[in-house]
Amino acid sequence: MSRVQDTMALKRKRGDQSLLTQSLGDADHNVLNIIKGKEGRGISSGELKKVSNLPTTQFNKSIKTLVARQLIKEVPNIKTSWGKHYMGAEFEPSAELTGGYWYADGKLDQELINSFKKICFQILQQKLKVATAEGVHSFFIKRKLYNGEISRDQIAEILRSMVLDNQIVEVKSTGLEEYHSIPVGEVCYRCATGGGLGETSKTKTGAMVSIPCGVCPNIRLCTPDGVISPTNCVYYTKWLDF
Amino acid sequence: MLTTPSQHGIKLAVNLISSYFGDIVAKVCECLLRKGTLPLVQIIQFTELTKQNAVNSLLVLIQHNCVQAFATQTEGKFGGAPRISTQYMALFDNIIHHLRFPKFIAIVNEDLGKECEEIFVWLLQDGRLSVNDILERHKEPSRNSTASDAFHECFRKLVNAQYVERCPAHEPFLAPPTEEEIAAKKRAAKFTKKVEDTIEVRALAEASPMDSVRFLLETDTWTDDPEQKSNDDSSSLAAAGEKRKLDALESGTKDWATNQKKEVLWRVNFEEFVRRLRHKSCIENVRARLDAGAATVLGAVLEATRRTETKVKVENSVPLSIDDIMEEVIKSEEGRTMNSDRVRASLAQLGCDMPSITGIDETYSIDLKRILELAQIQEVESIVLKRYGREACRIFKLLLQADRVVETEMISKDTFVDKKDAATILHQMWKDDYLYMQVMEKDKGKQKYLLWAVKKPVLWQHILDDMYHAALNLRLRSAYEQEKDKEIAQLPREKREGELGKRFEKWRKIRLVLESSLMKLDDAILLFNDF
Ligand code: SF4
Repeated sequence: MSRVQDTMALKRKRGDQSLLTQSLGDADHNVLNIIKGKEGRGISSGELKKVSNLPTTQFNKSIKTLVARQLIKEVPNIKTSWGKHYMGAEFEPSAELTGGYWYADGKLDQELINSFKKICFQILQQKLKVATAEGVHSFFIKRKLYNGEISRDQIAEILRSMVLDNQIVEVKSTGLEEYHSIPVGEVCYRCATGGGLGETSKTKTGAMVSIPCGVCPNIRLCTPDGVISPTNCVYYTKWLDF
Repeated sequence: MLTTPSQHGIKLAVNLISSYFGDIVAKVCECLLRKGTLPLVQIIQFTELTKQNAVNSLLVLIQHNCVQAFATQTEGKFGGAPRISTQYMALFDNIIHHLRFPKFIAIVNEDLGKECEEIFVWLLQDGRLSVNDILERHKEPSRNSTASDAFHECFRKLVNAQYVERCPAHEPFLAPPTEEEIAAKKRAAKFTKKVEDTIEVRALAEASPMDSVRFLLETDTWTDDPEQKSNDDSSSLAAAGEKRKLDALESGTKDWATNQKKEVLWRVNFEEFVRRLRHKSCIENVRARLDAGAATVLGAVLEATRRTETKVKVENSVPLSIDDIMEEVIKSEEGRTMNSDRVRASLAQLGCDMPSITGIDETYSIDLKRILELAQIQEVESIVLKRYGREACRIFKLLLQADRVVETEMISKDTFVDKKDAATILHQMWKDDYLYMQVMEKDKGKQKYLLWAVKKPVLWQHILDDMYHAALNLRLRSAYEQEKDKEIAQLPREKREGELGKRFEKWRKIRLVLESSLMKLDDAILLFNDF
């Protein structure tokens, strides 16, 4: 499993910054202090301009100087795709900006997410059968399945998204039979015994999706004697072409 | 029992009536479905049919249990005597039941065998028959007649299984409430939020025979002594002492609960079939979602409590002791291998709370409403998955679980769908009426947030309407295919060779696919409308 994100690139040693700040003008100092005050949350250029109350040319000059002296840095913000976001060079961007553990370079790390989903599914299907998020997480740690850091909450996030995919189901422990080791009432996860739903489903498919009209984009325009009608419908013709 | 039909529900109902009874009858039916309960005069006015045509159509619809008549009293104008008028209401669900007759027949066949099935089919075909009417048919010389005792036995079995019931009163009288009743209702309304029953609900309740006689099969029914059948004549007109002017229609139909010979009329009890199909749907869903053990236990509980269910749409199964459940479980082959711990585990899987001490007063009731809700969700999710893709399905499920509005960013985070993609998907589903959207402003309108939700009742209605639409389309395409290859369909067996043979095979396959798809779709309609 490869983690693309290299957070070390964003790290900077706290050096003696006095040399770098020595020749800064008042306006530059003012801007720098506002940015630093925001710590790991950083500040958008729009808000910064408003708070610093500087004319545009002076504002742009200050930003340029501070970036050049590596006193501040531009960081991605997953919340907006427009405008710039600045932060003191010594700070790490907060999860709010980066998107957290599952993001790399401001984008969802789908490769990482899918690998975790796959492993969690295998653990539940082949090893644990029924387990809480805690149980799956301990299994990860004990078997050293992942070299990086992963918390119980992050495993819980993965499991919850697998529930949304109908890959596994969320159940409350009954304390009976296969749930005997889990306290009654605790939320736990298991593979969908009946086969679940979706592309890998073993259960019968839905009634509507088995016929052309069930998922037809033109259903609202379709009338018995209209331009689009069941008698001249191309989807039907294709469906019934044995 | 009474649901307000959706636009395509009406279209499907009219299509069914038109293909079984012709366009004139369908016109009257459509008029009642669209405009609601009406007296004859207005039916004639809206349909522009002759009185005779309108009357005859109503007779057909009543005979086939698609319309119920009832009488009401209105204040006389200018201080004149009160007027009694007959109203006609369409029974939408009963009309749609015509679509599922093959399912009803299969249930009877499996449960009671071929001979009972035959009598049952006559009742389906004719709508309402007296025992003697059926006996007459049974004796037709062209038929391989069996002894009349055997016939009576079959009929008794059908009634005992509650597949067949006595017909409701033809035209119950809904007396206007007395002043004390109005005052009492007003007082009660202050304390309870109960919505008053509509006149249609009251009429149906008034018309249906009392439980004690609904399935009462007295042997003297065979002879049909008119003196013995006062129960059905529950039209309380006589009791009201009203002198009624009967127009042509009324004089011809006033005794539909009995026929002209004053014989008790019987009909198919749709309610029992809906109940059995509902149970079957619950069991099959549990088998697919949980396992065979849970399905066996649920099947046993429903079998043991079927007779004690007070209505079709019971939310929870009637409470049953663990001993009674065990007794029923071991009756089935699959259940014989189950011990009480295994049964308890299945009950827990089915969502039952486990008592802290087992054995003493240990009774269980299974949440059927939840099982059906999950089945409905499964159907809707499969549509979302196919129409909008896997990521959309994840988003939809999240919103369904949340049961409140959720902001785009939150949705993106919890579903692992990129924010931009999530926004596109959400918009698309909203445009198709699958989602509800709300705009929230912050900072005096400088920042806007979009909030999303699944409004289940509205969406479910929308999906049900699409289902009716799809069912109608299946029927229309089926009719078109049949008409298109009429000669092929009638091809004698010996000519079904070579190119013609291939065409016949294709025609047969198309028919099979269309028919089985319609039956499967009807299961979904039942799930959303009747269960
Ligand atoms: S008949 Fe064809 S066009 Fe009409 S709703 Fe069905 S699939 Fe769509």
